[in-house]
Amino acid sequence: MAATAIKNHLPSALLPHHRESSPPKDDPKPLQKQSTQEIHEEREQEKRLVSQWEDHKLALSPSQVSQAPSQKQVGQSQRHLRCEDFDLVKTLGTGTFARVWLARLANAKREDRDKVFALKILRKVDVIRLKQVEHVRNERNVLAVVAGHPFITTMVASFQDQDSLYILLDYCPGGEVFSYLRRARRFNEHTSQFYAAEIVLVLEFLHEHEGVAYRDLKPENILIDAEGHLKLVDFGFAKKVDDRETYTLCGTPEYLAPEVIRNTGHGCAVDWWAFGILVYEFLVGQPPFWDQNPMKIYEQIVAGHVRYPSAMSPDARSLIAGLCTVDVSKRLGNIKGGAKTVKQHPWFKGTDWDALYHRRVQGPIVPHLRGPADTRNFDEYDPEPEGREPYTEELRQRWDASFADF
Amino acid sequence: MSDLPSDFANELSALTREYLRSLPTDHLQFCANYFQKRLQSQRAEFVLAQQLSSTNAGAMATTNFPGSNPFGSSPSNTAMHALQEEDETDQMTSPTASFPSNYNLNRRTSVSAESLNPTSAQNDNWAPPFHQKTADQWSRLKTAVSGNFLFAPLDDDQSTAVLGALQEKPIPAKDIKVISQGDVGDFFYVVENGSFDIYVNPSGKIASGPDGLGSKVGNVGPGGSFGELALMYNAPRAATVVSTERSTLWALDRVTFRRILMDSAFQRRRMYEGFLEEVPLLTSLTPYERSKIADALETRRYPAGTTIIKEGDVGEAFFILESGDAEVFKRGTEQPVNRYKKGDYFGELALLNDKPRAASVVSKTEVKVATLGKDGFQRLLGPVEGIMRRNDPSKASVESVDPLAS
Repeated sequence: MAATAIKNHLPSALLPHHRESSPPKDDPKPLQKQSTQEIHEEREQEKRLVSQWEDHKLALSPSQVSQAPSQKQVGQSQRHLRCEDFDLVKTLGTGTFARVWLARLANAKREDRDKVFALKILRKVDVIRLKQVEHVRNERNVLAVVAGHPFITTMVASFQDQDSLYILLDYCPGGEVFSYLRRARRFNEHTSQFYAAEIVLVLEFLHEHEGVAYRDLKPENILIDAEGHLKLVDFGFAKKVDDRETYTLCGTPEYLAPEVIRNTGHGCAVDWWAFGILVYEFLVGQPPFWDQNPMKIYEQIVAGHVRYPSAMSPDARSLIAGLCTVDVSKRLGNIKGGAKTVKQHPWFKGTDWDALYHRRVQGPIVPHLRGPADTRNFDEYDPEPEGREPYTEELRQRWDASFADF
Repeated sequence: MSDLPSDFANELSALTREYLRSLPTDHLQFCANYFQKRLQSQRAEFVLAQQLSSTNAGAMATTNFPGSNPFGSSPSNTAMHALQEEDETDQMTSPTASFPSNYNLNRRTSVSAESLNPTSAQNDNWAPPFHQKTADQWSRLKTAVSGNFLFAPLDDDQSTAVLGALQEKPIPAKDIKVISQGDVGDFFYVVENGSFDIYVNPSGKIASGPDGLGSKVGNVGPGGSFGELALMYNAPRAATVVSTERSTLWALDRVTFRRILMDSAFQRRRMYEGFLEEVPLLTSLTPYERSKIADALETRRYPAGTTIIKEGDVGEAFFILESGDAEVFKRGTEQPVNRYKKGDYFGELALLNDKPRAASVVSKTEVKVATLGKDGFQRLLGPVEGIMRRNDPSKASVESVDPLAS
């Protein structure tokens, strides 16, 4: 520790840092008054904050999570952090306009070398081309508000540079529930209940504390952390809806709720529908509505007739039937009592919800890891294609204000 | 404990958990049994992992499973918990055999359509395009889309707007590609006259060369339609459609279609919320509650002369008159004692008690009503008494000492 303290007080010129010489032009919010020295110090401070975020990592109660985002240690927009402050180790996942990397602080101090992150990089030009500006803004702002929940990926910080947006997240070394499920074909009731129960706590919090609809529940978006607990990731479609319905169609075909397909306006109830599909997929190994032709999937969803394997337990069947109810005024989770009616369903009998929230219940799968940066639970992805479109000055003029929150 | 290897610590805590669950009298025997079981489980899982890794290219997790095996149907199940879980294994394997076995087991991509925002729609006075059609064309179009689940739930106004928005598209010759497999899709088409062949290339997109279209899988003629997935979101076309003669199509684009649905849903919801605000019994509803009730209201139509509620009957639902006129009669009087017009409500006392209806309401013209039953109301918001008590301070103090009220 003593060595660290000394190092922190060294004159900045002595630190081996490539940022010294970089011109201030790639700072999106330059402050006239700041000297290079001041900027450097603030940047070092931001890096320290990021490297130490886990020291403050305790499961917060829902009301603590909901405190003003500006009061939190995590989830802040950092003005000076840059991509060069991180070493990108390996791709953990890809999307149409984003790529998630395992990252660690560049030139990390000895005690920080094991501290790794998931760094989501979004190219501004692709975000704009795919008309996802609104969704990306929602994602950052919802993540900032929910940071600290035990079963939601923690946004440690966000920042941006000339052509990209960055979301720094905690790294979940266990990989996707999807991978475990596909390999196992299906989960037994005990495992399904445990994971379903942690998701119920997430939905309860998002809907009833934050007024947020998640809108993309599926096993691909649920990761397992080092201790075997879940983390919900990818808030690209999450939206604060409060008491107003919303209309944009988004989600994953097999998990879309009927009201989304019919465009009659939707709200948080879509997550309870998707939750029913999720429990079904856990227990059966595939979702209830499926066809090679997506339109046939939607036709089945709107008809809402779920077929159950004959031997599925009556409690599981009743839970899924309650959740996958086409009429939202009858859907479990959306009726009076909200998430509580789901928690009180007989299928969850015996669940100690308080112990579960505080991570005192051991999960059925605890990943076997060689170390905090082990990536064996993630698949291999192709390298990033070369030759991206440039983020032109014209685009910057028109759009950069929309990214000001980052 | 913190110095122990994490997997060893996991084993110990899992053992402790199992121990606390069973509280055995013979500690040593319990621990011995536990570890024997764990060893079997772990070896079996190892064998399974090896089998899978030879068929599955993706890198997968090495996991340990404290407690029971999380996977329902793995071979280790029968080896490990022959007694406990045998029936469960049977349960989940045989009945699912009847499910489609060709389910795509890959990661599923999220989908999203253009952002639709009704609040801005109010300002720009958007009206759907209207293209003139003859009565014959109109009825042919109606028949053509009647079997499509996206069109079936539309009410008359929506249906008129959607059919009116279909635009004629002449196809002047044969061999014209209307849609090309793999291309982005924005339009849905109905065939007015002529004929089209459908081709699918198994590669997922048109290739160059004489067989680039792939093989012919069908033909579509007058009254047929294709491209309906484009009404949901922008997905690559699944087939190529080529004219075989001079033809005529009707085309409808996604944004127009979804916006018609959204605008009518949005207007109906706001209208219902506005009506609900006028009902004294429901003045203390929060906007969120009002929007839930508005969402649950059901539209019904009655021809002139229908008795909507009958004096003396037990009331079960309340009504809002959405359009048309109705009259109120009491037994023993010839003349109506009251008249209802658009926005008036009646039968609301049924939400409160089971007293018989105090009067009859008969439609004078054809009417459209929005209605909600007492059970529906209570399912969403609980008993109406509780809601009324909120803005009555004298009753609120009673509630605070009433141990049964919550």
